[in-house]
Amino acid sequence: MSRRDLIILVVLIAFAIAFPYMGVPRYLLTSALVMFCFATVVTQWNLVFGVAGIFSLGQLAIFAIGAYTTAVMGRYLDMNVWYTFPIAGLAGVGLSLLVGLATLRMKGVYVALLTIAIAQMMFVLIQTDTACSELNRIINPQTCISFTGGSQGLGDFGSFGWREVLGGRDAVRGDYYTMLGLLVVGVLVSFFIINSRIGLGFKALRDNPELAASRGISQFKYQLIVFGVSAFLTAVAGSFYAAKFKAVGPGILGFDLLLLLIAMLVVGGLGRAWGPLLGALVITIFREGVDNIMTEGLQWRDVIFGGIVAAVMIFMPEGLTGTLDRLWNYILIKLGFAKARSSTVTAVAQDKKAND
Amino acid sequence: MSSETKKPLLACRNLFKHFGALAAVNNIDIDVYPGDVLGIGGPNGAGKTTFIDVISGINPASSGTVSLDGHDITNYGPDRICHRGMARTYQLNAGFDSLSVRDNVLVGAAFGSGDQGIPKFRYSKEMMARVDYALELVGMQDRGHLIAREVPVLDRKLLMLASAIATEPKLLLIDEPVGGLTPHEIDHVMEILRGLMKEGITIILIEHVMRFLLQLSTRVLIMHHGESIYEGAPDQLLADQQVVEVYLGEGTAKRLRHLMDQGAK
Amino acid sequence: MNFFLQIIVSGLTLGAMYSLSAVGLSLVWGSFNMLNMAHGAIMTLGAYFVIIWFDSMGMTLWLAAPFALICAAIAGVILYFISAHWMLTKRAFDTNIMIATIGISIALQTGLLKAFGGEPYAQPLSLRSYSFMVNDVPVSYQRLVIWATALILMVGVGIFLSRTNFGRAVRATAQNRDAAQLMGVRVRRVYVAVLALASVLAAVSGIMLSSMKELMPLMGGEPLLKAFIVIILAGLGNVTGALYAAILVGLLEAAVQVLVGAQYGFPAILIFVILVLIWKPAGLFGRRTVARQ
Ligand SMILES: Nc1ncnc2c1ncn2[C@@H]1O[C@H](COP(=O)(O)OP(=O)(O)O)[C@@H](O)[C@H]1O
Ligand SMILES: [Mg+2]
Repeated sequence: MSRRDLIILVVLIAFAIAFPYMGVPRYLLTSALVMFCFATVVTQWNLVFGVAGIFSLGQLAIFAIGAYTTAVMGRYLDMNVWYTFPIAGLAGVGLSLLVGLATLRMKGVYVALLTIAIAQMMFVLIQTDTACSELNRIINPQTCISFTGGSQGLGDFGSFGWREVLGGRDAVRGDYYTMLGLLVVGVLVSFFIINSRIGLGFKALRDNPELAASRGISQFKYQLIVFGVSAFLTAVAGSFYAAKFKAVGPGILGFDLLLLLIAMLVVGGLGRAWGPLLGALVITIFREGVDNIMTEGLQWRDVIFGGIVAAVMIFMPEGLTGTLDRLWNYILIKLGFAKARSSTVTAVAQDKKAND
Repeated sequence: MSSETKKPLLACRNLFKHFGALAAVNNIDIDVYPGDVLGIGGPNGAGKTTFIDVISGINPASSGTVSLDGHDITNYGPDRICHRGMARTYQLNAGFDSLSVRDNVLVGAAFGSGDQGIPKFRYSKEMMARVDYALELVGMQDRGHLIAREVPVLDRKLLMLASAIATEPKLLLIDEPVGGLTPHEIDHVMEILRGLMKEGITIILIEHVMRFLLQLSTRVLIMHHGESIYEGAPDQLLADQQVVEVYLGEGTAKRLRHLMDQGAK
Repeated sequence: MNFFLQIIVSGLTLGAMYSLSAVGLSLVWGSFNMLNMAHGAIMTLGAYFVIIWFDSMGMTLWLAAPFALICAAIAGVILYFISAHWMLTKRAFDTNIMIATIGISIALQTGLLKAFGGEPYAQPLSLRSYSFMVNDVPVSYQRLVIWATALILMVGVGIFLSRTNFGRAVRATAQNRDAAQLMGVRVRRVYVAVLALASVLAAVSGIMLSSMKELMPLMGGEPLLKAFIVIILAGLGNVTGALYAAILVGLLEAAVQVLVGAQYGFPAILIFVILVLIWKPAGLFGRRTVARQ
């Protein structure tokens, strides 16, 4: 992590900590904490898709496993949700390792297709799960609810418990800081891995798998590592999401959420440490903004939204951070603080020197 | 150079590689001794690249065995073969395009040798030193910050060589290092390879530019349709009727003889 | 025995509809590795074009249908020029265009939702209410129309690909873009035409689909998934295989629906396709070498 990155991060965290005390309306706090949750997922997804270059869309399935683990354990085993988080994380790692194994020798869109199929499978299995479950009868004999709750979803499994500690008015602040904590961990993990030796291995595999293997990188090992590592916090984010909203349904496996997360990822910039954060922030502000401006604008919002995702992919595939990065380097070079990173620029600069 | 009493560094026994009905490598049987430079020549499609694909684990052999330093590596993947001390370059300019030149070499240094059992987060000082050494050997120490995608052709070839060297190979396989370069650039690469030979690295070198091949090699293998049609000293090559017929042609052979004579003087 | 007949009748109908949507999808991938996630939205769009020309413009159905197909072809051309055209030479084309077309698909679908509202329309181009009996199993005339349409179009596409110069150019480009280019094929024109053709096929399948059920802005989602399943089973880019796989999937789905239960049809083929992707990613009829490019 460079000094520049560290300074920006500290400033951002300080701002995020102060945010609830800046007189913002409560619904904005909720938007912000949902953004933190999704941003966490995106920081981890970026490790798989952006850094290791594996086009997996299975992140949603891992998120959902986390959410459902918390719901099921909280409901049927009467576990405090705080204790379910690590279990949810491990469940996510387990699923992700399976996906990693299944996609080991696949490339590009094949991975995407398989992972879509797996997420869709989970969605359909939950939706078709309609038989009254015995477990549920033990808890609540009057109702007929299936094990996963089917298309209705599950509720009644506990929450973070901030209401009891902080009181009803400040409970949302508790939720806010909890999610913020998760995001900070997610960002630190992602920065650390991207700049580490393992991260270099991921990037090498992304850029040229065959050459990477010839230089001693085991695709088997590193693919499983990236799937495993990125899954833990993703699943915990899912389980935080469930705990915050005190309900989960198969909707979290749907296309809408997938598109939202993809948008954060690609608008921010794939494979770059700052991409997920910037993307999550920009997309959230965009959505909040449109909702405020156009009262009847829900559908127009999605038209524009889809258009933005397409436009970024088509004209700016490196995303906002990619573009900003170029700009930043250009300025540094112009000001004489850095060396040009492309030889053509160097050549031009040398020509200039020669002419001077 | 190759004395029979020394143990071979690389030993290939009855090596075959089939693509459907095509035998791209057809019963190659060869030993390479420490300090050798084995030059491989032969027409396009002769199976030279496939041969080193097989020994470097990129493409598994159909039958036959390969051993490195007395250790059977026939069924090893490319990563484990690299850890055992064999590194290669590619005919096309392969690189980690989005990474800097330095990071490209660092990949070789960080993953190519030593204990790779449990992946680690940090680099050692020794790795960094190896990166500097490899960059210096190919003369790119001042260009480490450039993005690999954007360096010119010669530099891409040298970069590939540097990242191979950074893995500390005992045996280096080089596939057509000077294809598409100017004569001046070819001489530059030749100097670098001479430097490597001085370091004691054993080399297998595929090249079409015969002048280059004959001047560097201590032994030569000529392939045709996957088979070996000549194996022996470089100075005997031009006397071999079959090689001249199927590969070099009378004119080229004559020019090369002249060149070799000059070199001898 | 009636079970059997029921499975055949509904399985063949499903298969015919899947083949119409899947063949276009497969053709586009086979030609230039574009996995068109907007294919489902174009199906829907095509079906709505019939409504537009018939209801709003007051055309007769015999005119509205061909007009709808022409509009779909234009939509395909536009899709090419707003997406693939700019991306062909850039890195990671296959993944980037997949994401881009997801975005376009969402924009298109919500646009339709905005324009037509969420309520279902009845597809005017339908013979669903007329039927005849075979062994106590009712068979609507609409099914006959679907079978005939699928048959005619598939044979038509087959002839087009194998007998015409343009079809040969398409296949040459699919096999080797660079070589085709060297032989004088203008590959970008081929891509535009393939996308236009695929969009027409999509529109036909959208019209057929809505003629059996109803017309809704989001109706393209599920058939798109099914079309993907079909082309995965066939092996991406294997156009003739897609035809067989479509019928296989239709029959399998109908069989599970009739024998096990309606809600298990889709999960059954999903499991099937996941297993095929893992064990035989080149598809059921695929050659190994074309896989996992
Ligand atoms: N992956 C492959 N599949 C099928 N045939 C191949 C493959 N790789 C190489 N070949 C064939 O094997 C033969 C040898 O190729 P190659 O080793 O590249 O020759 P060289 O390097 O000597 O020019 C050629 O006929 C080539 O077409
Ligand atoms: Mg070759």
